[in-house]
Order: sequence, then structure tokens, then C-alpha cells
Amino acid sequence: MKIADTTVVHNLGLEACGGGANMVAADVKDGKLVRIRPVHYDEQYTKDELNYWTLTGRNGTTFEPGMKSYTPPFPLVYKRRTYSKNRVAHPMKRVDWDPQGERHPETRGTSKYVRISWDEATEIIAAEIKRVHDEYGPYSILCQADGHGESKAVHAPHGCMTRLLELCGGYTVQARNPDSWEGWYWGAKHAWGMDPVGQNTHSTNTAQDIAQNCDAMLYWGCDLETTTSAWGGQLASKLAYWFDDCGIKHIAVAPDCNYTAAVHADKWFPVLPNTDAALQLAIAYVWLTEGTFEKDYVETHAIGFDWLEYYVLGNEDGVPKTPEWAEPICGIPAYRIKALARYWARHNVSIAHCNGGSFIRAAFAHEPARLEVYLLGMQGVGMPGRISIKFIEWTLFGMTSCSPIPPSKLAPSTAAAYNGWIIGSNADHMIAKCHVHKALRGESFSWYGHGTAANDRPDQFVKLEFPTDGNAGIKMLWSDNPAFSTSLNGGYEYQDALKSDNLEFYLVQAPWFEDDARFADIVLPICTKFETSDFGTDCDSGQWNAVIYEQAAIDPVGEARSDWEAVQAVAEKLERYGGVYEDVKHRMTGGKTVEQQIREGYEACGIPADELDFEAFKRNRYQLIPTVEGWEDQMVGLSGFAQNPEMFPLETPSGKIEYYSPTLAEHFPDDHVRGPVAHWIEAGDGHDDRLNSDRAKKYPFLVESNHPRWRVHAEFDDVEWFREIETCKVVGPDGYAYEPVWLNPSDAAKLGIQSGDVVSVFNERGAVLGGARVTERVRDGVVYMDHGANSDVIVSGIGGLDRGGDINLICPTHTSSKNASGEVTSGYLAGVEKVDVFELAARYPEEFGRKNYSPEYGADVRDYLIGEE
Amino acid sequence: MKALVVDLDRCNGCFNCQLACKDEHCDNDWSPYALPQPTTGQFWCKVEQKERGRVPVVRVAYTPTFCGMCDDAACMKAAEDGAVYRREDGVVIIDPAKAKGQRQIAEACPLGMVYWNEALDVPQKCTGCSHLMDNGWSEPRCVDVCATGALRYGDLKDFAGELDAASVAEELEGAGSHVYYLNRPKRWIAGTVANRGENEVVIGARVGIFDDGGSCVASLETDEFGDFKYDECGKRRYRVRIEADGFAPIELEADCTHADVVVDDVLVDQPR
Repeated sequence: MKIADTTVVHNLGLEACGGGANMVAADVKDGKLVRIRPVHYDEQYTKDELNYWTLTGRNGTTFEPGMKSYTPPFPLVYKRRTYSKNRVAHPMKRVDWDPQGERHPETRGTSKYVRISWDEATEIIAAEIKRVHDEYGPYSILCQADGHGESKAVHAPHGCMTRLLELCGGYTVQARNPDSWEGWYWGAKHAWGMDPVGQNTHSTNTAQDIAQNCDAMLYWGCDLETTTSAWGGQLASKLAYWFDDCGIKHIAVAPDCNYTAAVHADKWFPVLPNTDAALQLAIAYVWLTEGTFEKDYVETHAIGFDWLEYYVLGNEDGVPKTPEWAEPICGIPAYRIKALARYWARHNVSIAHCNGGSFIRAAFAHEPARLEVYLLGMQGVGMPGRISIKFIEWTLFGMTSCSPIPPSKLAPSTAAAYNGWIIGSNADHMIAKCHVHKALRGESFSWYGHGTAANDRPDQFVKLEFPTDGNAGIKMLWSDNPAFSTSLNGGYEYQDALKSDNLEFYLVQAPWFEDDARFADIVLPICTKFETSDFGTDCDSGQWNAVIYEQAAIDPVGEARSDWEAVQAVAEKLERYGGVYEDVKHRMTGGKTVEQQIREGYEACGIPADELDFEAFKRNRYQLIPTVEGWEDQMVGLSGFAQNPEMFPLETPSGKIEYYSPTLAEHFPDDHVRGPVAHWIEAGDGHDDRLNSDRAKKYPFLVESNHPRWRVHAEFDDVEWFREIETCKVVGPDGYAYEPVWLNPSDAAKLGIQSGDVVSVFNERGAVLGGARVTERVRDGVVYMDHGANSDVIVSGIGGLDRGGDINLICPTHTSSKNASGEVTSGYLAGVEKVDVFELAARYPEEFGRKNYSPEYGADVRDYLIGEE
Repeated sequence: MKALVVDLDRCNGCFNCQLACKDEHCDNDWSPYALPQPTTGQFWCKVEQKERGRVPVVRVAYTPTFCGMCDDAACMKAAEDGAVYRREDGVVIIDPAKAKGQRQIAEACPLGMVYWNEALDVPQKCTGCSHLMDNGWSEPRCVDVCATGALRYGDLKDFAGELDAASVAEELEGAGSHVYYLNRPKRWIAGTVANRGENEVVIGARVGIFDDGGSCVASLETDEFGDFKYDECGKRRYRVRIEADGFAPIELEADCTHADVVVDDVLVDQPR
């Protein structure tokens, strides 16, 4: 029996920006994917060839990289994702959008679609580009060219259209915001540098240091068992188990018993959402009043510490930040706060993160992020066993120093083969992502900082405005990431913006008909991973960085083309207009074949010339980069800074930890929400979301939203094999598979809600439906919902109703604070009530009666296509 | 004889084993080993999950569950015409051709690991990935995708000493299952002792755990967080006696018969 004809190797992480993760082998038989499985490195390499490493911790326990890839669950279901019922199989046009006549922006999200040909679609698109260019100018086209599409380079999932438009006069782009790092980016960077995202970038050899010296690790809002599924894989889980084996106490701090705490935690501090700052201040109070912090270290390694001391002790506002003060705010009894503070002061304690998460994506997230740095500083960060590490993104932006375990000798790049938008580029015509709503409505506005994840700290002091230089503002939106309302701020407001008269043409290119795609005027069908050949990398496994010759394995689904090919099809149609469009396809592609680009990508990826061999690379399908020589001798994390801050300064202006930030004080003297010293902020800058606020009388719960367990943002919501797992969906009495809403049994009892009930989670911005899951995995006062559920619009826009449970629809539009353009997608107020789903079905018969919907896979594109319902 | 060893202490609940099994068998025809598995509803490898405890002492117990390839296999006994047979390596296979129409094979398994495929009119279950093993693989899909080492596969004799403390699925006890569980969790009693007057936890409080016969089964001390946890409980009732110098002793009931016990924070007072 034949179990496979051939095997291809691809990375199946959802990286975008030309990065890659989660390399797997896929066996193909009779032109069909038969299985997706880990790559066994020992079939091609010996341990010696890879400079195999072993770390040693307490009790002689050891940790090794292993000789196969540690695949997380997402790649294993990629067949289902590839052949989803919700694939866009051919170009589609919104039936009542007529570029020659009535455009009906108000029916976006409601009207259905008709199938059209590639030829017709690209004719219309080219004509619209030409028209917008002539009437308004090139900067009136906004490219939504970032996000977490598949990891591809030649066929880049995001931003191929920018390569075309930059040759036709320019474009406007939305900044790729630091969406999983908001608080660190807008806050922690001002306390300890760490460009570009504000998390510790000095992690070299810290895993072994922790294993030998650390007594307890605070997993603060850290769910390494979930977040790594899209980016990195399961070496993170193995590392956490090793720390457990070394006797390191695992202390979880989060409102929920997340999937990491559920299997690793020794202690759980169930802090209320977005109240971490109160808990942190109370810890500082205990240390200050009991004299149990590293006074000498603070003296030599920090500036402005007395400002914090003054504030914490209550001299500034008459309120000492005692554990008793913090208790009603953060929901942790004062005696527990004191015990934690004293334990931390007596032992070597480190902090673990795996991105946001509730902790880092709430209003004023820059405050807990800075306070965390303050606390680390008070206990001598960089001393043995005292550090902050990440379980993810171990070569973020190519920085091998982000990894706590021995890195490969280089982090290869796909840049030479990459046809997408380069993060940070087009800076003169960029809109901070969280303000895009305003641009779509045709408003003028200003803000600080370009706000891409790649910008450095000083960029936050640059004032920007839109539109620039008398330009007309946005009239056309070209999106290859139609998942804003599922992943970013103010979802219902965004839906309204998409329906604005100001937006004349909304074009989407995407593999799946999900979320905001249902508001588009034209949708182009796009290929997925195994349908194209490409050049890939995997630099996030923590084992060995890899370059991959990714060979196409299956035929495209329907009429799908890759993003790069789709944009070329538009380019061809533009050429007929001559002038700036003349020969634009060739100018864009250089006439290169995919194979040529893969070769160029490989040859310029960073591997030294004498280690390059394209034919062998193609034959072997991947090439691993060995561990750097002499990794054992590399300086541990921040130990240099700890020992000699003058010789090894931080990247702050003073080179030290800045408890008081002179640059924030200088640039924003009137900002009392993100002032020079982190504070507890009760309300402000559009946010009034505390349990003791007046709003809480109507909306008495705090929403917690993490990275989803069974999705990557909005992706994978259609996978049957996930949806039948108990924690993925809750099937209601009407047979619909609802997004789970976690409620503590004490709250559920008060509300008369039982597991399986359909509930509405609501505030003044609208409501989303979900299926109740009554569980001790979340504390009282909290309603927990993963973000990213595929929206199923019943009523769109502010005041709307969504059956899919896309919780970001009801989150605030206001950003972290007025000068910090971060998304606020957790820690805000909402009410919860049981609904009569049959009464709703009677009220909205069409929306509740989609014929091809199945609880097994969810939405089906046919329900939106005229003639195919 | 092959064995599958499941270390429950190392299962992180990723569901890779369940998913890889579906990847291998759904929409793939591996006749004569097995016909395709339906896209949903069958779990030849199934991860059970159970939430334990209550705020703030909560864990999830994941238990990957498999066909036991039992020595005394109920499915084999229920089969007619030799429709279920045992390979030399011990793997029990349902012959999809011979088993057609034999619903009683699916109904026989005490663990519910044999499924009935209505559309194809056959009983179906784990094949031990025999089609792969016969083509050079050394372990089945579920084991290959297990990152943490929770699942291991090999010759029974290679695990010898390790399996002394192992148990099998309760439903398969006595049937000769070859799926062995290590570190099966026991029930726990957990709590925190604090002095609310001073808002301080009580460190070093003596915590005695007594069974329903009155015997002391454990003597613990609260840790630096004022916490105690005894996780060797059986499915029975216990009494907990907490004593700390300067405080009046406290006695509590802890009924572990049906679930773990997390007591409300024990708030002690100075004796007046």
C-alpha cells in the first residue's frame, strides 16, 4: 500500500510580513493532501551538524531541542482550512453596487453577491483605481495590507497591492499596530527601552539561568499553551514543563485559569481584568514600607525612583497604595497581596509573557506595563533568576537576543523574495490602525506616532495628521485582511464606517469569505499555502531556524489565485490606461518567475555564500541553521546591565530604568493619563470602565478577551475538528454553534444562566450572542470570550447584533489613551443576559435561517451568493 | 506486544493526538486496514477533559483515551466471520469488508472506542496506524505529534519497570488493555489560612487531614502564601483540622466523594 507519493515542506504559522513559523511536512497522494505531520530533522541532519545543545538546571535536569518539529494543533487541521465551505471560489460582486450608477454603501453587510469572472472583476477594479486617481489622487486609496495571513513571501498575503500602487503614484497604508504588545509598546519602552515592542529583548541564555536560580515564575496574563499555536509551536510548552521539573513555582496572574494555568499552575491569583496596576502598586507599597527591595540597585540603575515612592506612599494624592486599597479594586484579598509581595522579595522571581491577552490590551495598558518594569527594577532585574522572558517570538524582528534558549547563528530573511508591504514603509502616508474608522468616514484627525510595531520609542513624539497636504482623504479601501472588526478596536463602529457614503469602493482579496469581507463591493478569490510554491522561513520554533523550499502540492481551489497573481491581473488591466500605468505589471514583477524569486530569496536570505546550495535546498526541501558557536559563553540576559549599567546601558535616554520619564514629561506635559510616572488610572480619555463606575450599574461585568484557543484571531473558525472540541463552541437549543461565554457559577446563578443557554453580551455599542459555559476557570465579575469569532451579522453597526459572537464588535474605539494609539479590546464593561433565541429567530427570519450554515463548520459562502443559496 | 504509555502529568491538552488521528483517517481510505472516518463525530483517539477545583485552585485534567487492543477484546468476541482479528504486534483490527453490517461490534466496546459508521455500514476504530507501521513508521500518528512526551509507544517489555505503577482505563480493567496510564491524578483538598483582622496569611499553620475512620492520613503546614494542598485523596470523606499558635483550632468537613475540595479561605481569629 502506498501511503504517499511525495512530501512537501511548508511553514503553517500565521506570521505575515514575510516571516514564518510552524514548519511541517505534508504528504501528498494522487494530487491530494493526505497528512500533515512534524518534520523529523534526523532524517537529514546529525546532532553534530546542528551544534545540538543541552541546558542543565537544578537537580541535574536537562533540556534539549529534540530532533523533530514540535507542531502545535493548528497546522494539523490545515486540510480542513484549505477545503473550507467558506472558501471564496471565484470573484464576487455585491449585487446592488453599481460603479456606473448607485453604489448603495448603506447596504454593505446586508446585500448579497453575484459571481463574476476574473476578467470583469479586474476591469472594474482597474477602472475604479483610475477614477479615484483622477478625481482624488493616489493617496485616496487606503491599503489594508497587514495582519496575520498565511506565512508567504512571493505570494505575500498582505500588501502585494502596495507594490502596484507605489508605481502608480502612491497609496495610503494603515500602520500594522503592535496589537499583541500595546501596553509594552506605549508604556514599558518609556521605562526600559527594549525597542521596538517594549518586551525584554535581552533574553540570551536566560532559560538556563532561570532553571538554575529562579524560585518562582509569575505567568502574568501568559498563556503559552495557546498563543504559540500560531507562532512558534510546542517547544514553549516543553520549556514550561522543564521549569516545573526544576521545582520553579508556577504562579498564574490572570482573571481566568487559562490553558497554561490549567496544566502548569501551582498558584493562581485571579486578578480582575485591567486592575493589575492596583495589584502592582500594592506590591510596591509592601516593599517600600518594609524596606524589602534592592535599594542599592535602584540607586545605581534607575532614575526618578523617588517619584514612584512619593506616589505609592500616598504623598501625591493622599491615598497610600496599600494592599487594603488595592483589594476592592483588583479583587485579590489584601492578605494574599502581602504574601505575594513578601514571597517575591524573599526569593528570585521572574516574569513570563506570551503576548496579550487581557493584561496588555486594555485601557491605559501602558500603566501596568510600566509598573511591571518598575517592580522588576526594585528586585534587581538581571540578577540571577530575576528576569522577564517570553515564550514566543524568539527571533522577533530578526533579534536572536529575544530567545531565552540558544539561538541559531542567524535568522534568515525572505526579504529578497517578498512582494508584500514592508512594515514601516510608506511612512509619509500612513494611518495609525486604531484610527482607521475616522479615515473611512472622511474625517480629518491627528495623533502621535506612526504606531507600527517596528517604530522606535522617539517615534511616539511625532505628531501626524490625516489627510496630508490637502489630499482628499480615503475614497477606496483595498483590503487583503478583512478582519478588522474581529481583531481590532470598535468593531461595530468600523462596520458603520464601511457603510459610509464617503467610501466609494471597498475591494477585498481573501481566501475565505469571513467577517468584513461581507461588506465588500468586490471580493477576489485567493489561494492558500499548499496551492502555491514559495520561499519560507521558520525562525520561531526555538530549535533551529530554517529556510524552506515550499513546493505547491495541490490545485488551487476554484478560480483562486495568489495575492501576487491577483494584483498582477489588476495591473494588466491598468496598463491600457497608459501614462503612469504603462507597462506596470512588468515594472512590478521584473518579469520574474516564481522559481526565480524563490532562488533569489534563498541566495539573499543571510546564509553565507559557501553554505548555499540551491539544488540541494530544493531537493531536501529545507535547510536548518545550526546553533551559534560559543552560545554557552554569551552573556546572560540583563546580567551585564545588572553588574555594570554604565558599560551595558538600556536603550532609554538615561541608559537606566526610568521610573520618571523625562521625555514623556517634556513632550506631553499635560497628559495625566500617561504621565511621566505610571499611576493607577480610574477613568479618562474616553474610558469609564471600572466596576465602581456608574456605567457598571447597567453593564456590571468586565470583559476578558485573550488570543483564542482554537483560532488565530479570526482564522480557523471553520474547522470542524476544532468545533467539536468542548471548549471551542457551545451548541444552543436552536442547533447553532455559539462562541463560548465563560461565567463563574456564582454570577451565572445570579443571572439564572446555565451552561448551554444562549446569552447576549452587551453594552451601549451593541450586543453579541454566545453560548454560556459556566465554569470555575474564570473568577466572578468577569465575562470571558475569546476574540476572533467569525461574525454572523444580524444587525450591523452601532447598536447591532451579532450571532457569531465576535466580541470585538462591542469593544471601545477609544485607544489606550489620547496620546497612545493602542487598541482596547479587553477589560471593558458589558452586561450579560439570557436571551430567547427562538424569539430572535422569529424577529430576524432571514439572518437566522441561512440554509447552508452548519454547526459543524459554521458559515458557508453559498448563503451570500445569489442563485446558490 | 506493543504498548501505549500515557503520562497524564505531561498532557498539556493540545489535542494534537485527537486531531492527527482525524487528519490520518478522515477522507483517507486505508483499506484493507480501515475505510475513511467521517469528518466529525468519531474519535478513534479521544481527549477527555475535566475541570477540577474552584477559584482559586483550578486545574484541567486531560485524559487521552484509546482503543486498548485488549487481550480479551469485547469487539473480537462480538464479531462474526473473524471480522475482528489480532495482528502479530498485538493490534486489533476490524476488517471493513467482513465487518460490514455488524453493528454489534461497535456496541460491544465497554469504553465506547468502536464507532458505527452509518453511511458505510461498518464499525470503525483505531488501527494503531498499522498502514503506516507496515510502511516504515515506528509509531502511530498520535504519538508522533505528541510534543511533551505524554504519549510513548513501544514494545511492552521496554517499559517493564515503569509500568508497575500504571493503571488502565477503568472500563477496561481485567480485559488486558495495552494502554497504560501513569500519574493518574487523585483528588485534592486545598485551602488558605488567613487572619482577616490583621490581613495576614498564616504561615506554618498545622493542617491535619483525617479520613472518615478518624485516622490522620497527612500532616501538612501552610506555605509562604498561607496555602495547603493535599492531593493524595481518595473518593471519600475527610476532616481537616487546622491549628496555629495563638489561634483557636478549626475543623472542617471535606467531602472528596464526588469532587476535589477547595475550602473557602479559613479565617482564623486570635482567641479572646
